[in-house]
Amino acid sequence: MKECVIRRTAAKEPFMAKLEDSMIVCRCEEITKGEIRQAVYDGMMTMNEVKRYLRTGMGLCQGQSCSRKVRDIIAEEMSVPRETIEISSARNPIRPVPMSIYANDKACKRR
Amino acid sequence: MIRYEVIVIGAGPAGLSAAIEAAAHGLQVLVFDENAKPGGQLFKQIHKFFGSKEHQARERGFRIGEKLLAEALGLGVKVILGAQVIGIFAHRQVTVMQGDHMEYYVGNSIIIATGATENVISFSGWTLPGVIGAGAAQTMMNIHGLRPGKKVLMVGSGNVGVVVGYQLIQAGCQIAAVIDGAPHIGGYGVHAAKIARMGVPFYLSHTILQAHGTKSVSGATIVEVDSFWQPVPGSEKNLDVDVICLAVGLSPLAELPRLAGCRMQDNPLKGGLVPVCNQYNETTVKDIYMAGDAAGIEEASSAMIQGRITGNAIAHQHGYIENTEFDQCHTKYQGALNQLRAGMFKRDSRKETGLRYTQEGYTLSKTLLTKGFLSTSELSVFPGIPTEVRRRQGVTPIIECTQNIPCNPCQDVCPKGCIKIGDKITNLPVMSASSCLGCGLCVASCPGQAIFLVDETYEDQFAAVTIPYELVPLPGEGSKGVACDRAGIPLGEAEVIHIRTTAYNDGTALLTMKVPIEWAMEARFFKPDHIGEGG
Repeated sequence: MKECVIRRTAAKEPFMAKLEDSMIVCRCEEITKGEIRQAVYDGMMTMNEVKRYLRTGMGLCQGQSCSRKVRDIIAEEMSVPRETIEISSARNPIRPVPMSIYANDKACKRR
Repeated sequence: MIRYEVIVIGAGPAGLSAAIEAAAHGLQVLVFDENAKPGGQLFKQIHKFFGSKEHQARERGFRIGEKLLAEALGLGVKVILGAQVIGIFAHRQVTVMQGDHMEYYVGNSIIIATGATENVISFSGWTLPGVIGAGAAQTMMNIHGLRPGKKVLMVGSGNVGVVVGYQLIQAGCQIAAVIDGAPHIGGYGVHAAKIARMGVPFYLSHTILQAHGTKSVSGATIVEVDSFWQPVPGSEKNLDVDVICLAVGLSPLAELPRLAGCRMQDNPLKGGLVPVCNQYNETTVKDIYMAGDAAGIEEASSAMIQGRITGNAIAHQHGYIENTEFDQCHTKYQGALNQLRAGMFKRDSRKETGLRYTQEGYTLSKTLLTKGFLSTSELSVFPGIPTEVRRRQGVTPIIECTQNIPCNPCQDVCPKGCIKIGDKITNLPVMSASSCLGCGLCVASCPGQAIFLVDETYEDQFAAVTIPYELVPLPGEGSKGVACDRAGIPLGEAEVIHIRTTAYNDGTALLTMKVPIEWAMEARFFKPDHIGEGG
């Protein structure tokens, strides 16, 4: 999949691995710091882009634990202040909902 | 679709207070909470709260929670538990997951009081079992009666870190260290002093490098950081711990206002992304209001007042109260909020003062800010410390309150009016009279446990020192132990000569120990001989 992504900025230098790359950042989806750094290197420049690329913040906790950290890593990789990195969008439902609840929903059945 | 005049999302201190305020004015109120019990974080708070009478100071948090809940139910507020609000849609429609189905509600006004979530930091090994948030530690101890582990490293020296550290000791854990990346202790000095005198070391300008262990935490490596937050090589220390407790701040839970289309601001002083609100806590979307930490991180007492402000505004908006009553109430609540926001620990005052002087001009204790205890030499200048001459006349309180924090129960409880704070509740308490009865009400009601009674006339060569004591088992009268100084360093043998427990003091025992007179101004903690592994 990554090969299909068009690089938004031509990489000037090869990707540099770092010591703490193997550290898990998004616990729910088991995504490491290295993967996030690589995503930024591949051209993902916002939290939404990284989220769609890697699924960071899309697990059970919906980014409650990792979103700060992901934001910091993106900012650090792009050498910009963290405040300039937009927070990923919020969406309904804000809590995980079992599909059975939707399947049995009164409002849906009426239609 | 079920319609209510007011729908409150979150039954914590802010949500319940807002519900009470609105219901008291006659509005029909429905409250949702995703937990099985209402009260939010209040039911985990077993310590006594700061503030003044109107903030319910010297009450333990969970008792405030019980009162709020009873008051809300008494006013006919409907509270639905185990209800997760999963979305908010146009025209204030709220979708709620209740058990195995969805329910749909609409509110004429919506109050979002969803609180906050704990921040985490990631380091090598941070996903190991045993690395927990301070809130999780409180849930385990204070809700479920479980001890999180035996030996704990506390990361973060803010009020949450030092208060939860104290509670961990009460639960029977040892605290190996409290660390903080900042060069100063972030929480109130009095909270830090409580655990420092129990022997807890503080490592400032330190961060955690690694959690060790394969299946769970078996140790931690901490390292000193320089002023650029870079690790200082060779400064690593290994700690033998089985729990690493993270108390590194909170972030507002503000997805719902975002979904509702409220204008948001990314404000580090408020803890992150929060909705822009007016002075009545109304967001930029009409009839959607906020209350408590979801609109900016403060603490429970402020959250309760914020709830009142919101409830009052909605009652006015719906025509349930007249302009004058609304204005009066709002001014009263705003005043109470401003009191809590004053003092050297308010959001943005640290930079102004540089944490060097009190508002009265006293030099702040450096050891208190860096090691968590007051050194005897720094102590004598403060207005709560009686002179040597006064101490020779008989029993007197020693008020080791040296930072400007919004709190004044000591002034209120003294039957003789010996302690003066004045109208500005961040003032340092002043010892103003010499008619102390030795009743110890001030000792037990100080939420910072910073007041002690010293009687240097107790016996020839011996003094009686009364300390607040909240550990179990309570030592018996006549039992022997070790007196420790403010840094937790054992001074030598002491004997318990008196134990006082009263319902009014609510679990804080007054332990009077007999110590050689030269320790009268040093001995501030009693360690029983029989003390078990907990320390």
